[in-house]
Amino acid sequence: MNKVETAPKITKETKNSIRVDFERTPLLERLKARFVNVYFFQKVLVYVFKFLFLLGISYVILFPFYSKISSSFMSAEDFVDVTVNMVPRHPTLATYKAIILDNNYWKAFLNTLLLAGSCAILQTFVCCLVGYGFAKFKFKGNGILFLVVIFTMIVPHQTLQLSMFMKFRYFDIGIGKFSIFNFLGGGLIDSVNVLKDPWLRLINTFWPLIILSATGLAFKNGLYIFMMRSFFKGIPDELEESAYLDGSGTFRTFVQIILPLSIPMLITVFMFAFSWQWTDNYYTTVFFTTTGPLLMPKIVKVPKSLNTAYAGSNMYEAAIRNTCGILILLPLLILYTFMQRFIVQGIERSGITG
Amino acid sequence: MNASKSKNDDIFTGSSKKRKRGASLDVRKARAGWWFVMPFIIGIVILYIPIVFDSIKYSFHEIKILTGGGFKLNWVGLKNYSDALFVDPTYVQTLVTGIKQLIVDIPAIVIFALFVAILLNGKIAGRAAFRAIFFIPVLLTTGLIADIDNQNILATAMEGAEIDTGTGESAVAQIVSVMDVQALFSNMMVGTELVEYVVNLVNNIFNIINRSGVQMMIFLAGLQSISPAIYESCSIDGASGWETFWKITLPMVSPMILVNTVYTVIDSFTSSSNRVMSYISSVYASSSGQVLSSAMSWMYFLIVMIIIAAVAGLLSLFVFYQRRD
Repeated sequence: MNKVETAPKITKETKNSIRVDFERTPLLERLKARFVNVYFFQKVLVYVFKFLFLLGISYVILFPFYSKISSSFMSAEDFVDVTVNMVPRHPTLATYKAIILDNNYWKAFLNTLLLAGSCAILQTFVCCLVGYGFAKFKFKGNGILFLVVIFTMIVPHQTLQLSMFMKFRYFDIGIGKFSIFNFLGGGLIDSVNVLKDPWLRLINTFWPLIILSATGLAFKNGLYIFMMRSFFKGIPDELEESAYLDGSGTFRTFVQIILPLSIPMLITVFMFAFSWQWTDNYYTTVFFTTTGPLLMPKIVKVPKSLNTAYAGSNMYEAAIRNTCGILILLPLLILYTFMQRFIVQGIERSGITG
Repeated sequence: MNASKSKNDDIFTGSSKKRKRGASLDVRKARAGWWFVMPFIIGIVILYIPIVFDSIKYSFHEIKILTGGGFKLNWVGLKNYSDALFVDPTYVQTLVTGIKQLIVDIPAIVIFALFVAILLNGKIAGRAAFRAIFFIPVLLTTGLIADIDNQNILATAMEGAEIDTGTGESAVAQIVSVMDVQALFSNMMVGTELVEYVVNLVNNIFNIINRSGVQMMIFLAGLQSISPAIYESCSIDGASGWETFWKITLPMVSPMILVNTVYTVIDSFTSSSNRVMSYISSVYASSSGQVLSSAMSWMYFLIVMIIIAAVAGLLSLFVFYQRRD
């Protein structure tokens, strides 16, 4: 420190750069000091361990998809052949073809697209509105109402299965005799009789799910409201205050200032709502009977044209069901690859940090 | 020009007419808040409260669908509840095993999620890809697909499976054999219960990975909100990674541990893959079991509420909240 070594010599100097020549320890020794020590080895070991661990878990997650895909291309002979393990020996598209043609895949696809799309858009919009209301406005009963939101999240919908079915099977608004459809159906005054029965039969239509979505009560909507609320809480109030100062109203501020900010969050919630509605088979069995519109759960069956009556039949049927699953998931996977960036961003920013 | 001038006058002179009609900013904002949550309130009043009320009502009744349309309720008191507890042969048994499973799974899921979140938060090659992969099960392995998997497990359990059916069990089997784990732990002499617990976990790892996606994201969000300055000052003071984890990371994410634990309980007991829930669904599907199933699920709901309250109460003793100001 106190001994001044030979001062660095300036070898070249231009306007923008300078090259200085000074005595350095040789490269080899520098590398040695850097890489050949316990600290570095420990770091490398930990890194390798971390990477392998993550790789292993990813393998566990991805492997089922791989094996589903590979078995979906197997022909019937491959299921009897013991030597065929992961790679199909006689690859064929027969399973896909049979499912798409026999099980009316495209019809189910369009129906489900219509249902899941409309529900997801409604849910995203409504949960966004409600979440914003909870996050930014202090009104009487705010806390209690939010507890109600948590309550809707906690009560499993299976508990309400029967009463939900009855509610929409005999749909009515009001209590007892004093309800809208009782009135329209001639329950109170005989001359007013528009409906045949004093209720609306909404089973086998899209209405139950649309109504539930529009009121923020559908599957996991409590969670979406919760996510939206914590996201909006993270947006500084000053932003809106400056908009109010400039003379913008609450709704205009919401539409013009807040909504453009929350696009990643909206996409995240939309993706959740869409994919959970797309693969849902709980509501579709409660609200749709066998005579209802063709939706995704109904195409999961062995198509007529495939003969499964031989030795490996269980395996083959499992593979066919998995192929149905792949066909159902395929649109979601495509959507997910496009939206993945927004989703991770949205969830990180949602800051569900309480 | 003229209009803006009059507006300005209003503000400065405070015209008394406006003062009377217009409420203060706070009141107006509160009113706007009501408008924003209005869809939810309408839904709660018109649909949700009647549905919950009906569900409780039905659980005390016998239901008969009339042939001419409509239905009839007969009051039976606590009969459905006593039937569920004492007459039904498997309900109590399923309930006990289901709750045991829940208690085993909760710590496993939360710890696994935290561990993976810490790994994914650090610098590692392909971090974005890993994050995307770890989130796949949340979106894709739900509802219908989980159902197909269950059907396949049932089908292949009947005959010895040779080709993988894509249910994920064999992937785990390929990485670790359960027998190896058993051998490893029995050599360590740590007591049979712990061995059993670990073996159960290894058997269940696919399940646990599948169910910890959202929790992982919540932890990730929490980890990213910790200021890097704290870690920096720690490392300057010479703390090792191990110490930093226990002294900094864990207290800072402890609120998230509470949130995640409650979320895990709710998520696993409302999911249809849950054993108790699937049993209740099968009771619902059987003839005249609908009211019985609502009685069963209300009882289950009460028990789980007690569990949530106990867990949340216990954990909130250890939760550390950073003072923000």
